[in-house]
Amino acid sequence: MTVREQVEAANKRVLDIFTKARPIWRDVRPAIEVIPGMQKNLVLIPGPPIAPENLPIPLKTAVSGAAVHEGLAKNLEEAWQMVLRGEIKVDAAQNYNCSNAASMATSASMPVFVVTDETSGGTGFCTIHPGASPRVLRWGIYGPDVEENLSWLRDEFGPILGEAVRKSGGIDLIALLSKTAGMGDENHNRQPASSMAMALALIPWMLEVDHPKVKENVAWLAANDRFSLQPLMAGIEGIMSAAKQVPYSTVMVGMGGNGIEFGIQVAATGNRWYTTKAPLILGTFLKPTTTKDDLLGYLGDSCVTEVWGLGGMGAIAGPTYAKLTGSTFEDARERTERARKVSLGEHSFDPVPWDGYRGTPVCVDVRKVVAYGVLPISHGGSGLKTGGQAGAGACELPLECFKKALIGVGEAVIR
Amino acid sequence: MNPEKALKLFRSPLVVVNVGPKSFATAIEKQGYETVQVDWKPLAGGDKQMQELLVVLGY
Amino acid sequence: MELFARIEKGKYIDSLETLFSATVFNEQPGIETGNIGMATDSFKDISKELGLLTDEIAALSEGDYVIVAKAESKEAFEAAIRATEAVVKKSSESKNDVSYGSPMEAVRANPHANLCQISVPGEYALEEVKKALDAGLHCCVFSNNVPLKDEREMKELALSKGLLCMGPDCGVANINGAALVLSSINARGPFGIVGASGCGIQHVAAILHEAGSGVSQTIGTGGNDLKAEVGGLMMLAGIDVLEADTETKYIVLIARKSADNVKPKLLDRIQKCTKPCIVFFMDCTKEQIEALGAIYAENLDDCAAKCLSLIGKECRFETDEELWKMASEAVRGMNKTQKYVRGAFSGGTYMDEAMHTMEPLIGDIYSNAPLREDLRLKDSYVSLKNTCVDYGEEEFTLGRPHPAIDASIRRPAILREASDPETAVILLDFILTPPGHPDPAGYVTGDIQAAKKMAEQRGGSLAVVASVLGTTADFQNIDEQKKTLRDAGVYCVSTNCRAAKLAGMIVKLKKEADS
Repeated sequence: MTVREQVEAANKRVLDIFTKARPIWRDVRPAIEVIPGMQKNLVLIPGPPIAPENLPIPLKTAVSGAAVHEGLAKNLEEAWQMVLRGEIKVDAAQNYNCSNAASMATSASMPVFVVTDETSGGTGFCTIHPGASPRVLRWGIYGPDVEENLSWLRDEFGPILGEAVRKSGGIDLIALLSKTAGMGDENHNRQPASSMAMALALIPWMLEVDHPKVKENVAWLAANDRFSLQPLMAGIEGIMSAAKQVPYSTVMVGMGGNGIEFGIQVAATGNRWYTTKAPLILGTFLKPTTTKDDLLGYLGDSCVTEVWGLGGMGAIAGPTYAKLTGSTFEDARERTERARKVSLGEHSFDPVPWDGYRGTPVCVDVRKVVAYGVLPISHGGSGLKTGGQAGAGACELPLECFKKALIGVGEAVIR
Repeated sequence: MNPEKALKLFRSPLVVVNVGPKSFATAIEKQGYETVQVDWKPLAGGDKQMQELLVVLGY
Repeated sequence: MELFARIEKGKYIDSLETLFSATVFNEQPGIETGNIGMATDSFKDISKELGLLTDEIAALSEGDYVIVAKAESKEAFEAAIRATEAVVKKSSESKNDVSYGSPMEAVRANPHANLCQISVPGEYALEEVKKALDAGLHCCVFSNNVPLKDEREMKELALSKGLLCMGPDCGVANINGAALVLSSINARGPFGIVGASGCGIQHVAAILHEAGSGVSQTIGTGGNDLKAEVGGLMMLAGIDVLEADTETKYIVLIARKSADNVKPKLLDRIQKCTKPCIVFFMDCTKEQIEALGAIYAENLDDCAAKCLSLIGKECRFETDEELWKMASEAVRGMNKTQKYVRGAFSGGTYMDEAMHTMEPLIGDIYSNAPLREDLRLKDSYVSLKNTCVDYGEEEFTLGRPHPAIDASIRRPAILREASDPETAVILLDFILTPPGHPDPAGYVTGDIQAAKKMAEQRGGSLAVVASVLGTTADFQNIDEQKKTLRDAGVYCVSTNCRAAKLAGMIVKLKKEADS
């Protein structure tokens, strides 16, 4: 077989992995118990690996906050010094089949969703969405109130959720996405329908859990319309862990930003990152006083949803998000059409009625991106340089990463 | 050469796929023929290193 | 005036579109000089010449799109861009705005598509032709500067699939009545033409049209088809196809020169052809052609005349006597210094034909593509004695479209030649085609009148001789184009060959009168 034929065959396999996946959410467990390679003094960050001294302020705070939460240090400053001395290690979550939304950092005791793709056997992980408060670790903020939220997730909500999902026998994410297809979620930055469906599936089982505060926990779950994002991220990480085992494939299997650098991963070279300066996510700001200069670059791993054909790739499925962030219905259509030009297939579980019942495009091929110069557009929330959420919008993925990725694949497969 | 496919072309309504400047398609449309436009850009924006890789890896 | 620039990285627009944009842009109020294009080296060179090159533009790559101008104000600059965009959009308006990423996608969505016209830069042609052939489309390839081995590969692939691959460097093809690439619009008729010279095909077809006949199909093979490396693959295939086509009663074959390993195959095929063949091969004798049982044509005009005689029609060109009469009238007002002909051509075949026609009358002719190497011009912008310049040569068209489309390439030649007191005759060709200039004659009549005035002011008289290639069916209408030229005082005769002859006669008569 020529290299070209091997690449085609490998891409077909990855397309199969992506489109025939059946991620089932089975459990919620402390990270240290379930994430292979997780250690007590390891903190996982979003995006590509980065030297700690280069971390932007919000991630510095999140990493230090996680370390204090773990009891590794008494305060943020002490934690940071330990990071700089290498006593607390920092690594890219996606290298561990884990992912962090926005500026979140994952540490050993944090409860994580455990989602397994029944088709490929891959398992992925992600922490729990902390709720609607603007003061959360995932936006680079740490203080007594944030610690209270983290402890509650660890000691109360996480265990209750874990028991409920175990009792349920598992929540089938494909069935969930399929049921809510056509309800306007793009499932990266907007997911009220799938969060509601997920809550409906869970609540009967939560009510079975023997805990004095079950009612409050059920109420909290029901109020969180972004809840389904994180189990989905975990499921996608599971799928990607299988795709990363396919040599020769030029399909994008990971992407994320740490505010400074943005990077992608490609199946053929597994956990190798191809990075460039993080682009800005532009759209609307929460505060009218915010300007472009206040923005941190692309931040977070929640864009693994994009890697799997949701978010900006499937923008037409949730055109309301485009509207909310200052774009139009036609922009949403254009985003999906762009993704189609560089993708190898379409999902079958999420037909979009106003797009001719077509599924969202999936399997971005780095070859096509480079060859045609067609850059997929990702949705995303934007962070402030000083911490906190700036707004939400969209951005073109940088061509530079795809060019580097193509060189990387070339090095791996051309002999 | 076997003329069958050319004869089929001669006996069918002409429908031209135009790869290149749109003005060529417009010129044919003005004569009353159907055209289909293909957007063409140089492969990889003209980046020679990328073009060499794409020749081997396909796209 | 201040310099303004707008840069769009990674936006690709073909030079054909950007040149049109640049022309419109420069006509906008408030713009002193402007340029629009992809930031290629040649774009940067031109911008530098115009004083428009900034460091920022110099640092761009050829994948970046630039609009730059010396303008009155930022507002004027922006307004000019908007106005230009509006004009350009209107000019390329078509029934559907849908476009596709590849021929295969286009065919999937339009299963009735049957031919692909490809005009991408030469180095990319093979790739695109392969895609089109794989999608089952016959190809008409306008791209030039395609390596010969690429041409061989695409033609072999086409033949293995039973598909036509007209070109690369195919300037003319009329399929099912449609004028593709730079063809003229022709009526249908019994003559099928296969030719390695686009200009030659167009010439013969146009005369057939004007005489009330027409063409079944015309197949341009591209000028390199008969080279050793390509082997005449498409010329031979074209004969096969037209022989099998019931609409084609007569087969017309046109070529300049064929390689030694190709010619025997070609002649053998003509001999075996079951339909009457009219053959104009510049490198074959009458005896060679007639030995095959084919009809010999000695030039393009003769080729058309021989065709028409087969169906009992004829075409009328000016006789030599009529031309001599015109010539003697033309020299009458000329002064002592006027001696030479200056030809400015948009068709390479036409320049060749003109030089061959004039040489017996006037001797050596300098050129950028001369008949003899020692007659090559050092600088195509500086004419010597009798000179002909082909403005379709690469030095003028690199990164620009053919002069039949972009009439501005040749335009400066008229006043430049007229400013030389030694110029007696300016010889021009005009080519009509659907994508071409909407009024190529009208575009230069102002310059022609100014040129004549310059000669008059020196006490002389400038003769301008021209021919127009095209038909009354062309959007520009050949009759109207001829009238425009005649109204401007141009000797407009029936064909390029006749025009060259007239120009040669004028120079010869003037020389005799002076001695």
